[in-house]
Amino acid sequence: MSARRPSATERTASRRIVAAFGVSAAGAVGFAVTYGLGGNTAREGICLAVAFAGLAVGLAVWARRLVPVDRYVEEHEGFTSPPTEQAMTAAVLTAPDSPVRRRGLLAALGLALTALGAAALFPLRSLLPFDRARPVRALKDTPWGAGVRLVDADGRPLRPDDVPADTVVAVFPEGNVDVGDAPAFAVRLEPQRFSRPPAGGHLDGLVVWSLLCTHAGCPVRSYLKGTGQLLCPCHQSSFDLLAGARPVAGPAARALPGLPIEVGPDGFLRATGDFTAPPGAGFWDSP
Amino acid sequence: MRRPRPARVRPDLHPRRALALGAVLVLAAGPVALAPARSAADSAAPAAAAPPAGDRGTQLYLEHCASCHGERGQGAQRGPSLIGVGPASVDFQVSTGRMPVSREVQQAPRRDPVFSAADISALVDHVSSFGGGGPKVPQVAPGNPGSGREIFAANCAPCHGATGAGAALTDGWVAPPLYDSTAVQVAEAVRVGPGLMPVFPNQVLDDRQLDDLAAYVQRLRDERLDRGGNPLGRLGPLAEGLVAWLAALGLLVAAARWLGRRAAE
Amino acid sequence: MITDRLARALDDRLRLSPLTRRALAKIFPDHWSFMLGELALYSFVALLLTGVYLTFFFDASNGDRVYRGDYAPLDGATTSAAYASTVRLSWDVRAGLLIRQTHHWAALVFVAAIVLHLARIFFTGAFRKPRELNWLIGVTMLTLALANGFTGYSLPDDLLSGVGLRILTSVVESIPLVGAWLAALALGGEFPSDAMIPRMFVAHVLLVPAVLVALISLHLGILVRQKHSQFPGPGRTEHNVVGSRLWPSYALRSLALFAWVLAVLFALGGLVQINPVWLYGPFEPAEATSPAQPDWYVAWGDGALRLFPPWEFRIAGHLVPGPLFPGVVLGGVTFLALYAWPFAERLRAKDRSAHHLLDRPRDHPVRLGVGVGALTFYAVLTVAAGDDIIARLVRVPVYDLLSLFRVLVLVLPLLAGLLAFLVARALRRGDAAGIGELTRADLRRAAHRSIRPPGADSGESETPARDRSGERIEMWPEGDLWRWRYRDADRHLVITGSRAVLSEEEAASAARVAYPGVDRVVVPGPPPAPPPGPVRAALRGWGRAAAAGSLLLAALLNRRRDRRRQERERAEPAAPPETADKASTGGGRT
Repeated sequence: MSARRPSATERTASRRIVAAFGVSAAGAVGFAVTYGLGGNTAREGICLAVAFAGLAVGLAVWARRLVPVDRYVEEHEGFTSPPTEQAMTAAVLTAPDSPVRRRGLLAALGLALTALGAAALFPLRSLLPFDRARPVRALKDTPWGAGVRLVDADGRPLRPDDVPADTVVAVFPEGNVDVGDAPAFAVRLEPQRFSRPPAGGHLDGLVVWSLLCTHAGCPVRSYLKGTGQLLCPCHQSSFDLLAGARPVAGPAARALPGLPIEVGPDGFLRATGDFTAPPGAGFWDSP
Repeated sequence: MRRPRPARVRPDLHPRRALALGAVLVLAAGPVALAPARSAADSAAPAAAAPPAGDRGTQLYLEHCASCHGERGQGAQRGPSLIGVGPASVDFQVSTGRMPVSREVQQAPRRDPVFSAADISALVDHVSSFGGGGPKVPQVAPGNPGSGREIFAANCAPCHGATGAGAALTDGWVAPPLYDSTAVQVAEAVRVGPGLMPVFPNQVLDDRQLDDLAAYVQRLRDERLDRGGNPLGRLGPLAEGLVAWLAALGLLVAAARWLGRRAAE
Repeated sequence: MITDRLARALDDRLRLSPLTRRALAKIFPDHWSFMLGELALYSFVALLLTGVYLTFFFDASNGDRVYRGDYAPLDGATTSAAYASTVRLSWDVRAGLLIRQTHHWAALVFVAAIVLHLARIFFTGAFRKPRELNWLIGVTMLTLALANGFTGYSLPDDLLSGVGLRILTSVVESIPLVGAWLAALALGGEFPSDAMIPRMFVAHVLLVPAVLVALISLHLGILVRQKHSQFPGPGRTEHNVVGSRLWPSYALRSLALFAWVLAVLFALGGLVQINPVWLYGPFEPAEATSPAQPDWYVAWGDGALRLFPPWEFRIAGHLVPGPLFPGVVLGGVTFLALYAWPFAERLRAKDRSAHHLLDRPRDHPVRLGVGVGALTFYAVLTVAAGDDIIARLVRVPVYDLLSLFRVLVLVLPLLAGLLAFLVARALRRGDAAGIGELTRADLRRAAHRSIRPPGADSGESETPARDRSGERIEMWPEGDLWRWRYRDADRHLVITGSRAVLSEEEAASAARVAYPGVDRVVVPGPPPAPPPGPVRAALRGWGRAAAAGSLLLAALLNRRRDRRRQERERAEPAAPPETADKASTGGGRT
């Protein structure tokens, strides 16, 4: 190759490749400078892209212009070994003193390994700490219960007046604002429009339901005032609050669990029990 | 789709590098302080020659509103009653160009307002004269966008999206994008609850919280929040996936097609 | 000189020469579709490089941390450490956002490239014996890629991904008997748990990538051992591979592709925003955002969750929740079908022989029909995951779209599959070279039952006839070495053996394996050098590269101009109304 003089096309190609690598180096320098001057996401990205694109173009031209373009062939031996080879391998593996002939010992070994493997599964149970509630119990129970006051996201207890008509207020059990299955919402509806009473009852139209969609557990926060419907932003299930928060469209199949409430002696709203059903998505042991 | 941009020049929203909190407050206050001035400037010519507000309001109402809402705002088949909706509601509907509508639609889209600021306030006064009270046009003070962000995430994001890009509701209703809304319009919408939107009266969000919320929504439309480049309409992962397939895979497969051939072919 | 000495030094210690020589002479078929897997490989390398950088700044903990930094709406807010550190990474770490966005784009491209690669392997029958094992490894890597994509998407603990994680938890909980236990064991308690982020982090940066690296090595090792498959063509048989050599041609091309992958990913990472977690805000159990979608590669699951009707039932008092079917069953069936396909096809066709020559997609109409139908099915599901976005863009009620998609997801795959089947049959039976040349008569004929006797298929993709007079193998000495080549005088085809060997016998045996039954002759000297490649092809290539580059450049300039204009508009002090009007019409023009 080096003996013969490069042709004109080769010289052109070489020049182009050098130019491309030059652009690449310029891109790299540009990146360093941009970074040094305080950084800018777009400029940094462009510089790096130019740097790598220059490399790509240079290498590609090199591959296509300066490299022999013959067709080459490689033989493809079959993958099945000759029968003698197979027989010899089998003979080595199953020689008279081979461990595979000791069936009894192998069975015992298998037993030991099985036991070991099974024992190794036990520590996996620690993934769920033992002091946590059992999964099914945890899914069924929430921090709500008789006497738990309703508070807003900032932890302030709520009076019935704090939930006027045409609005939606997220409510939480006092002291457990961050618990995953506890969020609920309060709305005030006109009781005479109820086609089906709310599962948890109501206080002059003030109703509290679980916020979690019974389909896949998303917070059902889109309250469509006037229609009395609630829309889940994840999979577009609609719940009709006037009909006991039953699902009316979309993939959800169960009504939102309600929360029974009363006004406590201090004038604040409080629950009289847990949700009427486990909140959120269904599971095998859902009652 | 590109993120809808504010159609108008906003000299009051001047983005600077390294915004200090004080600057944020000033910026957030900007639109509020300048809003009336700006609106007046938009159509300075007709406003200058306008007749006294009372007459003007009556005239505009009879001309543009009475055919649907009735001559005394009592409502009719084609339009709801305006008695007791409050000045905030009227100002919101008219200043966002949703009213007057040219034809009956389920949900009027946002447009450039038909009337000047002076005309709008005359109209608001006239409709208020029908009686019934209702929420006043809120006075928005500079707020803290940090606390506004939390209020927005808790109350607004489920419908309008955490990015404020808007989203579809049921039956063809849409929670519109918030990028064109002024601070006052945001506050009005919160207090009034136009269309399907819930109302958030003082018991739920006090005036201080409303100021914070308006300040954050004003920030949401700020271009600088799209720090990473083209926001793809802030539509989320599916738009990103589309770009990955069309742009990235397109460029990569094109390169592979070229590189994969023998040079001589 | 240095290369020479280095090679000698290595060889003195490891005796690498024979291996290296063989490896460098490895043949890669000259067809673009063989590079799709490389796209996935290089995206993976990009993921590793950018991912390692991200771990230096990411704080994988659910614990509280106060964010202090440039993003004012969150300055001083207490969020999870994972979220606070991601916002810090995006706003306060120099080049952090570029690397984070490039990482995310690389993930999207990684899975997309895997899917394309899988489709190519499927439609050309490259999974057939002896390559079933590599198919199984590939499908496993796809599942791992999905798992790692999902954990990576969830790690920032933002509102959007937190909602997604909650949905996945609900899907797991829907599994009969063990669902609640599985979810609780994985999360270390009820959702949202304190162990979530640390566990996903370990899975995302250690467990899954380690397995992926091992499987990729195995995948490539098997590929090298089994050699490439190839499309049928002149001089190509079941016993050889025709193409370009690894060194120097393919190594350069492959490196070029690698660089190009990085170029595209960094361009996207710098110019197109992805997953702006600062806008989404931190995850809170009572908060939601809309529209809510996962990354595209799991969107089919989300679409299925949306489309599946509200069916739930009870077995002996136990609830079988709705998400079980679109979530667990569909996913399970999908991957089981992928794993089982090579074996099912082998059983059905009773084909136990090895295949190194690929099918063209049309050669196997049933496979093509099933594949196209399946791809259509998942594509409809993916689009259905965006039904709320589509509803808003085209202003159609979302439940109308839902009903439409419920029909489409069943009908469209059948139609697409049937059409693909018919087109393949028409192409196979008729004389048309491509879809464009098909006539109606061809299609009509295809709709009827087979008109060929069964068994005619196997004769088609057979090796070229043995007794053609124009074929011969030429061998010649080259110094101490021997080389050989295959020549087909009738077709003016010359294919050179990929490497020189030590003896005439070795050359002869290699040629005998590659072209069984072809006569061999020894020729005196090296045959004349091949003519240089036509200049025009190269120029055309350049033109294409330039076009792609200029497109990119134009997009960049456009963006810059937009931004400049906006900055200008903002910088202008309180403009008089006329100027404002002008500026706004200018904005409308673009």
